[in-house]
Amino acid sequence: MPGEYAVEISNLKKSFGDFQAVKGISLEIKKGEIFGILGPNGAGKTTTLNMLLGILTPTSGKITVEGLDINRDSLRIKQMIGFMTQETVVENALTARDNLRLFARLYHMPKERVEQRVEESLEEAALTNFGDTAAGTFSGGMQRRLSLVRSMIQEPKILILDEPTTGLDVQSRVSMWDHITSLHEKGITVILTTQYLEEADALCDRIAIIDHGEIKALGTASELKRLASEGNILEITVKDSEVERISKMIKSKFGIDTEVDGDKIKADIQKKPLSISIKIAQMLEKEGSDVLAFSMHLPTLDDVFIKLTGNDFRDTASGQNVDQRAKMWRSR
Amino acid sequence: MGLMSDSFTIFTREMLIFKSSLRVNIIRSMMFPLVIILFFGQLGNSITNVPVAITNYANNQQSMQFINALEAQGTLSVYAITDQATAMNLLHSGQVYITIVILPTFPNSGTAPGVYIYYANTQFSSIGVALPFIENAAANYGSVVSSQSQAAQSSDNLVVAQPTSGATTSYRDFLIASVIIMAVAFGGIFSGGFSTILDRQLGSIKSFLIAPINKNAIVMGKMMSGTVQSIFYGFLAVLLGLLFGAQITMGIMGFVWIFIIILFVALAFSALALLIASRIKAIEQYAIVAQMITLPTWFLSGAFFPASSFPAFLQPFSVGDPLTYATSAIRQVMLAGYVIPQEMLLDISVIAVFSLVIVLLSFLLFKKTID
Repeated sequence: MPGEYAVEISNLKKSFGDFQAVKGISLEIKKGEIFGILGPNGAGKTTTLNMLLGILTPTSGKITVEGLDINRDSLRIKQMIGFMTQETVVENALTARDNLRLFARLYHMPKERVEQRVEESLEEAALTNFGDTAAGTFSGGMQRRLSLVRSMIQEPKILILDEPTTGLDVQSRVSMWDHITSLHEKGITVILTTQYLEEADALCDRIAIIDHGEIKALGTASELKRLASEGNILEITVKDSEVERISKMIKSKFGIDTEVDGDKIKADIQKKPLSISIKIAQMLEKEGSDVLAFSMHLPTLDDVFIKLTGNDFRDTASGQNVDQRAKMWRSR
Repeated sequence: MGLMSDSFTIFTREMLIFKSSLRVNIIRSMMFPLVIILFFGQLGNSITNVPVAITNYANNQQSMQFINALEAQGTLSVYAITDQATAMNLLHSGQVYITIVILPTFPNSGTAPGVYIYYANTQFSSIGVALPFIENAAANYGSVVSSQSQAAQSSDNLVVAQPTSGATTSYRDFLIASVIIMAVAFGGIFSGGFSTILDRQLGSIKSFLIAPINKNAIVMGKMMSGTVQSIFYGFLAVLLGLLFGAQITMGIMGFVWIFIIILFVALAFSALALLIASRIKAIEQYAIVAQMITLPTWFLSGAFFPASSFPAFLQPFSVGDPLTYATSAIRQVMLAGYVIPQEMLLDISVIAVFSLVIVLLSFLLFKKTID
């Protein structure tokens, strides 16, 4: 169906010198969905976003936004996209109102609409009483709210949030989540990058995990978790004297792998983790075993993430990577 | 929407930021000019009794009056009135700093020099005060002065150096004219450059690039605001100068000329700021580069001494320095009190062409390097 997608990216590549930051990414983002992009530092997230925002020119590949080609209709696309950076960018010397006015004008809002829209935005950010205060004096949370409504000033169809909650306190983060959900309800397509996997889990309809400039996985949170399903483990702690007996019993009765570690039994419950766990619990009760602890470990996005991207420290551990990053930085 | 209206939006933003720390900006921009006028201006005034030897070939009533006028204010002290060979020996032996030769044609020498001055290269500060003083005194007789350094004289080659334009009795007035140029040039370099680097570090530039505007609008808006701010600093320096006794005898036309001169310097240095800032990422680095450019350019423009009194090896640099022409132009207006059309045309053309070249370069480079 034409027009189903807000963003279509096909075989997108970007090189800085001989360093390939993005190595052929293809994905479609549906209208109205919240799409998450996850990846370790230096994975190519920001480079991909910058191409989408029209700040970087792709080395090759195609980007279409709301059916428009980014090479031909760059200005019209820019008008449709709102963007909030991971650093809170407000004009410190300007008042909240002037901050908003500036961007209303940069997005070519008709003069008679500007003031009205500025007041709406202030209200949305709960900053009406601080409209004439210099934004530099605001708290981090206030600045972030101002930054968000500012990135929405032209009422964009697509909103890109680059790590919207990094560095926020818990309250501000929750209120940011609420805000993002309400945008979703208004039918706005939201694309967000985050380092917080629980954030992606809670907010995103679909998630792409990017590493080394490639998509490693793409799907809903539960689809991705299934990729790490060997992480489904049942941990039972019993008396030392009973460990071996019970371990064997579980193995023979349910046909699953077990492993003994001190007084702990680890049972691999990949398939139907919940029903098997219940059956094991019932069996233990019938046996009259003295169970000290009984816990189920299901995979989180963290497990998926680490499984797909490894857990090396990118910017510090690998000298080659540091070198590549430096090259990329210089050629910017 | 057009380039102009987008530029104006950026311009408005820059001016709001400027306004938000207006007091700091004014203090910062006037500190250096104030110190220079206060300290160095005093230094100039304190130079008196510069020893001179005079050879009077004219020996007429006007030449006698001219000599009396030279002695009158105590700036010069006449050591001897004697024949040229003796006078030159006195100069070589360091007993006098200047030898003044009044030619037989004085005071009716037409456009040819009526007075020759030979001076010691080693006595810059005294010469800087004495030369304009002698030129002014000679100008009262409608006579042109030619100055030569000792070095040039010794080869017996009477190629006449370009006389400094304008004439003044006060070293401080002489200095004020160049301090105005300094306020404009430094204002342009420092306001535009630092803000651009900060904007890039804090992400403002990125947020403009994401907006549906032409990249050139960012350069243009910043350049416009840099120019306006520099002109503002220039006129603050003019005010400061007036407070210290400088005069603009040409009245309103004088201000118009000053505005035109300042406009080009402001434009050139605001554009230069963007040009440098487009290549440099750290504030500290920018400060070094900006100072390396502005300070020598200013000194070489003849800020403290007439450029004609520079040692020979600096002369070519002075000739190639656009600020030399701006300083020359503003001195015509403020010190001479009249405009010498050909010279003004040259001065204004040089700074206009210079500023246009820098403006074009900064558009090209800023656009290329900003992403």
